[in-house]
Amino acid sequence: MDDLYLDNIDEFVNDQNKIVTYKWLSLTLGVHVNLAKQVLHHYLDRKRNESSALLHATYLVSGKFVENGTTSHMVSVVQEDHLTVSVHVYSVQKAVLKDSGPLYSVDYDAVKENLRNCSRYSAIRCADAVPMSSTAVQQAHETAQAPPPETAHTKSGINGHSSLASKPTSKQSKGVMGMFANKNVSKNQESSQERTLEQREDAPVVETSKTKSAPKTHSMSNFFGNQATKKPDKSIKEEAAQMSSSVDEKPSSPVPKAETPVKEELPKGAVVEKDSSKSKRLDHSDSEEKNTSQKKQRRRIKKPQSDSSDDEVIPDSPPQLQEPRGPSPSLVKESFAFSHSDERSDCKRRKRRRVLKSRTFLDDEGCIVTEKGYESESYSETEDDFKASKPSQKNPDPPKPSTGKKEEEEEEEKRRKMVVAASNKSTKQASITGFFQKK
Amino acid sequence: MTTLTRQDLNFGQVVADILCEFLEVAIHLILYVREVYPSGIFQKRKKYNVPVQMSCHPELNQYIHDTLHCVKPLIEKNDAEKVVVVIMDKEHHPVERFVFEISQPPLLSIRHPRPTPIRIPSDTLLSHVEQLLRAVILKISVCDAVLENNPPGCTFTVLVHTREAATRNMEKVQVIKDFPWIVADEQEVHMQEPRLIPLKTMTSDIVKMQLYVEERAQKAS
Repeated sequence: MDDLYLDNIDEFVNDQNKIVTYKWLSLTLGVHVNLAKQVLHHYLDRKRNESSALLHATYLVSGKFVENGTTSHMVSVVQEDHLTVSVHVYSVQKAVLKDSGPLYSVDYDAVKENLRNCSRYSAIRCADAVPMSSTAVQQAHETAQAPPPETAHTKSGINGHSSLASKPTSKQSKGVMGMFANKNVSKNQESSQERTLEQREDAPVVETSKTKSAPKTHSMSNFFGNQATKKPDKSIKEEAAQMSSSVDEKPSSPVPKAETPVKEELPKGAVVEKDSSKSKRLDHSDSEEKNTSQKKQRRRIKKPQSDSSDDEVIPDSPPQLQEPRGPSPSLVKESFAFSHSDERSDCKRRKRRRVLKSRTFLDDEGCIVTEKGYESESYSETEDDFKASKPSQKNPDPPKPSTGKKEEEEEEEKRRKMVVAASNKSTKQASITGFFQKK
Repeated sequence: MTTLTRQDLNFGQVVADILCEFLEVAIHLILYVREVYPSGIFQKRKKYNVPVQMSCHPELNQYIHDTLHCVKPLIEKNDAEKVVVVIMDKEHHPVERFVFEISQPPLLSIRHPRPTPIRIPSDTLLSHVEQLLRAVILKISVCDAVLENNPPGCTFTVLVHTREAATRNMEKVQVIKDFPWIVADEQEVHMQEPRLIPLKTMTSDIVKMQLYVEERAQKAS
């Protein structure tokens, strides 16, 4: 069975050029983390013995750490070159990793899929760790947000020392990052808060290696992430602080080591929560991240939606059109069409429009005259509301003040009937009536 | 698989936004991983929920930002076939070319007789795309394993492969003032004895991308 695992790792590392962390391996193969670590260790040994390996490994080191006379428990991931004591293999990959970022990326998807049971294969157990209720989570959230300045003054010399130590390094980092406008104050507060929260716990310190968040200045700097508005992140991943085998640091000597964790923690925005379980924290953090990423995505989505909706919506016509307006007939017809559809949804509205209508009437000589003219007519949603006013028959082109459509039709029919009656008396020619009925 | 069409410019804008953001992150990461600039100017930042490296130097950032700002209209219209990050040695001969081949789905769906209505990318689709982009970024981080070290004193440039009409447009209309685009030299475009190393392929409903590296066989000049 071991051989099978070793073959799998071989395939992942050599063929697929992946970074294989113990966590990822345990989730992928469905085995306990300790077994995964052992398997990785065996694999590394075997490959080293065969001397064919161009493999590199990182190690997780933990132990007591003495800083300024205070001891604390520290966990970090280091390159094997910087190793003094080997504890267990963290990952195996072909490339030399310049920083610890990819280590987090590798585990991200696997942990996300197994969010509910990511501690299934884990060796860390605590009987008191139970998932928090949502109300408790909210309270913790609020208390964490509310007094950021207080945390700087709460505790004893530990905090005092740490805040002192953090100040010069924060100034250094300010110098480097001073080019970006908005970072400084909130970050310092965050970092001081982190330090105090962290020092309260002596137990396994699990810190995030989450990166700094730059505020969103404008839309083009979206890739900075939408972190500035975010509360101090409560997500937990294993720390990869010492991975900064960056050029100017010598991790072997203790003095720079004292500075580097402080320096590293500052840019990372690490927050440690007191009472919640690991899975719950991950859950909460991931859901937060999801929310913010979703919000960001939704923001992105909302923009195009609002743009498209601006195109589609035809501006409403005002509720009461003023009299003689004089628009062209086509425009009038369009507005009529829109107002017609609109009125169905709205409550009763009176609208006026000018419509080209033809009217027939009998003149003095008894001749039927057809005249075309613009009339403004008032139109409302329900036909019951028509205001009736009888049009004058002998006026060729008066603007009818308020004429219901229905009534006009009725009158036209009356005229037609009159005409028909008149024509019937005179002749029996159907052609004349046919002329009128064509309407 | 959802069928999406690009009748509306807004969809193209969304895709272009996503791609340009990604390219910016990728370019910074390439500069970090391939040690074009000293690692001290880089800072860890977060994108797609994972840490990435980004430079602090304002002029470098502005240059990359402006470059992608000019590329964005091409991507919107699906005119950009490839975006290439070329790393050149001191004599301006390319030693490495990181090629991002981009293609977007066609304008109208062929399956239906009538064009299907526009669907703005949904949340699940975008989070899927984010996952794919995360994987590409991870691949860039470990590309050291398959590439040889570059000689010291390298520089970089960004090339865009596009259509001739778009080239003429870009020369005519300066999207950003004092940031002109010119037709690339032959020696920047073609490399002697290239070795092709595929890195990652990404396929999604809104964009398809392929990343590979062309590496010169002998880098030390």
